[in-house]
Amino acid sequence: MQFHQYDVVIVGAGGAGMRAALEASTEARTAVISKLYPTRSHTGAAQGGMCAALANVEEDNWEWHTFDTVKGGDYLVDQDAAEIMAKEAIDAVLDLERMGLPFNRTPEGKIDQRRFGGHTRNHGEAAVRRACYAADRTGHMILQTLYQNCVKQDVEFFNEFYVLDLIVDHDLSAGDVPAGEEVTATGVVAYDLATGEIHIFQTKAVVFATGGAGKIYKTTSNAHTLTGDGMALALRRGLPLEDMEFFQFHPTGLAGLGILLSEAARGEGGILRNGNGERFMERYAPTIKDLAPRDIVARSMANEVREGRGAGPNKDYVLLDLTHLEPAHIDAKLPDITEFARTYLGIEPYTEPVPVYPTAHYAMGGIPTTIDSEVLRNPSDVVKGLYAAGEVACVSVHGANRLGTNSLLDINVFGKRAGRAAAAYAKTATFTDLPDSAEQWVITQLEELRTRPEGERVSDIRREMQETMDANAQVFRTEESLTQALADIRTLQERYQRVSVQDKGKMFNTDLLEALELGFLLDIAEVTVIAALNRRESRGGHFREDYPDRDDSRYMHHTMVYRRPPGASVGGNITDEAFSHVSDFEDYKVVLGAKPVVQTRYEPMERKY
Amino acid sequence: MTANIDNPRAPYVRKKITRSNFEMWGWLFMRGSGVILVVLIFGHLFVNLMVGEGVNRIDFAFVGGKWASPFWQMWDLLMLWLAMIHGTNGVRTIINDYAEKHVTRAILKIGLYSAFILTVVLGTLVIFTFDPCPANAPADLLPSFC
Amino acid sequence: MTATLDKDTDTETQAGAIPSFEVTIKVRRFIPENSDEPYWEQHTLTMYGTDRVLDALHKIKWETDGTLTFRRSCAHGICGSDAIRINGRNRLACKTLLKDLNPDKGPIIVEPIKGLPVVKDLIVDMEPFFASYREIMPFLITSGNQPSKERIQSAEQRERFDDTTKCILCAACTSSCPVFWTDGQYFGPAAIVNAHRFIFDSRDEGATQRLEILNDKEGVWRCRTTFNCTEACPRGIEVTKAIQEVKRAMIRRAF
Repeated sequence: MQFHQYDVVIVGAGGAGMRAALEASTEARTAVISKLYPTRSHTGAAQGGMCAALANVEEDNWEWHTFDTVKGGDYLVDQDAAEIMAKEAIDAVLDLERMGLPFNRTPEGKIDQRRFGGHTRNHGEAAVRRACYAADRTGHMILQTLYQNCVKQDVEFFNEFYVLDLIVDHDLSAGDVPAGEEVTATGVVAYDLATGEIHIFQTKAVVFATGGAGKIYKTTSNAHTLTGDGMALALRRGLPLEDMEFFQFHPTGLAGLGILLSEAARGEGGILRNGNGERFMERYAPTIKDLAPRDIVARSMANEVREGRGAGPNKDYVLLDLTHLEPAHIDAKLPDITEFARTYLGIEPYTEPVPVYPTAHYAMGGIPTTIDSEVLRNPSDVVKGLYAAGEVACVSVHGANRLGTNSLLDINVFGKRAGRAAAAYAKTATFTDLPDSAEQWVITQLEELRTRPEGERVSDIRREMQETMDANAQVFRTEESLTQALADIRTLQERYQRVSVQDKGKMFNTDLLEALELGFLLDIAEVTVIAALNRRESRGGHFREDYPDRDDSRYMHHTMVYRRPPGASVGGNITDEAFSHVSDFEDYKVVLGAKPVVQTRYEPMERKY
Repeated sequence: MTANIDNPRAPYVRKKITRSNFEMWGWLFMRGSGVILVVLIFGHLFVNLMVGEGVNRIDFAFVGGKWASPFWQMWDLLMLWLAMIHGTNGVRTIINDYAEKHVTRAILKIGLYSAFILTVVLGTLVIFTFDPCPANAPADLLPSFC
Repeated sequence: MTATLDKDTDTETQAGAIPSFEVTIKVRRFIPENSDEPYWEQHTLTMYGTDRVLDALHKIKWETDGTLTFRRSCAHGICGSDAIRINGRNRLACKTLLKDLNPDKGPIIVEPIKGLPVVKDLIVDMEPFFASYREIMPFLITSGNQPSKERIQSAEQRERFDDTTKCILCAACTSSCPVFWTDGQYFGPAAIVNAHRFIFDSRDEGATQRLEILNDKEGVWRCRTTFNCTEACPRGIEVTKAIQEVKRAMIRRAF
């Protein structure tokens, strides 16, 4: 076992983690812990762009951007946070440009911008050019640029270290810490993949930037490594998760594979057609058609297929048509995604339409934070020295549905804020003593899992979980399907207790790593389904066929979900009748709660495009 | 049984940092000398093999006659030096590319440089000290001007 | 619909309709905790037309032998984790379709990339690779105050270094280079590509320093233009061309 002491420890080296590191490392002794090499993070897979109201190509302002974000999120967005994001977007883009990011340029040499789903001029009049981009590898360029600047600043990385526990000075899991009491994060426990050694990091501030949990679904654009580690760790340590029922399905995943084809394809003029060749989005969103927000497009596509108008031999996908675009234009603006179609499906996008179907893409929910990225342990109290940013966090700027490009914005704006806040806090704080043998819990768990002679196979449980989530908790959900999903997940949770790995070694035991990741995935899938069951309305990415309308009177709140011991009292969490559900399981109970939505300028309206 | 492997993330340090233009000049020299050598060698071959009776007229007298002229002395001297430096540098890079150990590299290079010096010194000496009219030689083997 | 489309449907419902075939994968294994000798292991699997080498490796790991160890993340060729040597050529496991490897003509040979120390199975120590990358100062170097808005750069200036911005640091190029295999001292194509990305960026002022660094004994002049790197690059970067352009910039600087 090894011991380290840093002022700030950042968990995760994707966009948000590295953006935070760039801020924190100039002010405080900072370490970044990541289970992957930094440039392997899934930020690099983002393609289309990053929106900011630079107004380089046409009239635009940040207030329109705020409105689009709020409306896109079906009014579940915290409007103060959305306003901050839209305002600071401009500096976030300029920061990146100054760091060296090679944005595409206008004829005058300024940063070029293009259209993107849900981004409109003057509160919905027409699509606006707001997304700053670098071909169709904007995320790749952001990740590379941030890493390059981390090299420049000599940021200290612990690569291929897996954080397995968060140390907080109170036991929050029992739920008996009174509101208002000061709770402080004091460190993390990490596992060195290369050697199997345990490392303890004592720290004044921890920033969680561990990304999403797309692997709870089978068809997903997410990386194999996006397993909700940070979210699940927080949940297990008694912290709440917010709005977990909202998961975004990206309309254009390669059919059957889930590999993402950017919305930029539609931003550049691509058209969705059903099996009859009809441009069906004209029926669902007459004004902005194919550039409607992702939840609407994804649902429209699923609906076309369900009503028998799909394409292909089984009529189980629709088509993304780029054939009317000039090949030169496609090559200049969309080189990577056309290559995906060629490589993986053998389709030539110049001449053939590409088969697409919605793919699990982004968790709107996550660890609740304030606008300064401080983690909340209930609707109002923060945990001192604990921050979260990026997909793992829920600020909430995305509400019930994230607009395209706003994730790259989120990681840059709130990554920066988290880094700054953590460093500023670290300057005023002192180290808190760690409990004796803080690592013991992790070591016991690891050893038990590693040495269990035989039992369930990780891949079987994971496959079954992904299949039930795809079948029962995807674009269309009902009470019945979600109940089925929950029952399946409970069975799988129980089987997971007997899971065993074949690799008994200590060096690079990726078999063990996958088993740990599966544990996190199951926890996330479980709370996703529980939160979805409770929200008996349809809003943004969460569509209940049995409750197809939005119900602001009952559900205009964020869902909070807590995990508590079987015997714990739950009274403190329940503040709202619609969010008073408790699921009792043998080993713990899952308790729901509500958190108010912050509304500043915009009254909820019907969402039409 | 456990194998000894280095710590996977031990800090990596480049062995030696050089900041001279040597390799660049070497690279440029190879290209420049290559072009010149093509002219020199084909010129040499043409004069020796094609002109007049061709290869049949090469004898002591022919060589002696050529090296009596400063033009051909310079021609052959240039060809010798350029070819030797070009070749030696080429073999040096091959040694650098393929020899994995420092010791092997050093031994091969010592051999190479020794061969280079020997050949160049001897060759230069012969070009400039060649006596076209040695005493007591049969007259029919000597150049006409003897 | 064309015949190709038939393969794209969901594997669960359509398993019977998708053309399947037998594949033999021969993997070079090395588990230093058990033995210091690497060995070959062969697996025969039933795979489908859209499956990639990564799918085959996953199938082995998930269904047969959990100890098989390799890196992977995004699984569509953008994160750069899974560069390996497939039939003697450096490829990303997630971008190489099994059907393109003529599986009927003998086993598909899978090894770790060469020139970097093997740690376990297909995992190599990437540290020397990243160290070379860090040495060439892979970041924008400017002087004076930051502009209040963006720096101006024309579309043509931007296009000048577009190709080398695609690099994902997978090490396929560097570990395909025979010069790098010898002693691992050569900076390698990836480091030079990333230097190129900044040397030819009109906003950057650090070209001289980078050229100075790459003028090293182990720098660009060790390139023998074998084009292995260009052939290996999963992003289609013209690596050898970029190296030649850096050489040319150095010569221009000297005269």
